[in-house]
Amino acid sequence: MIYAVIGLLLGMVLGFFVPWGIPAGYTSLFSVALMACLDSVFGGLRAACNGNFDDRVFISGFFTNALLAAFLVYVGDHLGIDLYYVALLAFGLRIFNNLGAIRQHLIIKK
Amino acid sequence: MHIEKGRLSIACVSLVLGLMLSVQFRSTQDIRATLPFQRVEELSARLHEVEAENKKLESELMDLRGMSGAEKSEKINDDIMMFAGMTALEGPGIILTIDDSGKIAKKENDPNLYLVHDEDILKVVNELRAAGAEAISINGQRLTANSEIRCAGPTISVNNVRSAPPFEIKAIGEKDNLINAINMRGGVADSLKVWGIKLDIQPSDNVWIPAYKASSKYKLATASTKEASK
Repeated sequence: MIYAVIGLLLGMVLGFFVPWGIPAGYTSLFSVALMACLDSVFGGLRAACNGNFDDRVFISGFFTNALLAAFLVYVGDHLGIDLYYVALLAFGLRIFNNLGAIRQHLIIKK
Repeated sequence: MHIEKGRLSIACVSLVLGLMLSVQFRSTQDIRATLPFQRVEELSARLHEVEAENKKLESELMDLRGMSGAEKSEKINDDIMMFAGMTALEGPGIILTIDDSGKIAKKENDPNLYLVHDEDILKVVNELRAAGAEAISINGQRLTANSEIRCAGPTISVNNVRSAPPFEIKAIGEKDNLINAINMRGGVADSLKVWGIKLDIQPSDNVWIPAYKASSKYKLATASTKEASK
């Protein structure tokens, strides 16, 4: 757990000092990818709580989810379908579900 | 907790997540910061414009104050003559020609739709004036404050002089502004082209516009010193 926190902090610090930002046209893609990442992380935490955490599943899910989400939104942009909101809604719902499961687990354990 | 299993890989994933979070955070801040900034730039450009205009007017005022009575009245006289259309003018502008439609009228349509009407000319003139045209003439007739544009049988009468299509409208003003005003989407040109009415705009660096030719026609009105009643 401590490694995850250290990695997170290190990443944030690194993010503040890297010179490049996101080009204006890609901010929506990036935010969806970020949402997918957050979803994977909470999914991973939930799995860890339930005791069936698998790091290969977690890592592959983390990257493929993010890339796939961004790709889908990109395709949707070109087809005139606002998949952006759909992706945000779906990931948001899942994040809250996972949060709920984690909370339940913690309460029941104590 | 089984998280300890793949410590390094999880640390990597967290690193990526943290990186994404802070980059996203930063770009959101950037967007927030740039929007008001753009507004400020826009406003300051506007301020410069107004200041320059103000300076110009001020210098004009100083010029007028510095002049002797005869000079002053001459300058004012020139301005009035120009404004009233009593002097020929030249400058950059456009030459616009409108002609009746070349299309063969369909039976179900009113053949009048395929002809140029006084209304069409009025619309064009109105659009040109809105775009800042300083002087306009139609088939050599200078448009003044008293000019009419009226249907007169198959011809159109301007300054009580009739002329038949094609109509040549000359205007002095910002070329691009004038052209864009006419070609604006859903504007005059679009609505006339539906019926095949020929409309052609040529920008020119030197448009010459004649003076108003008829004599002054104030037979009934006399100048009044009364102020408008409130």
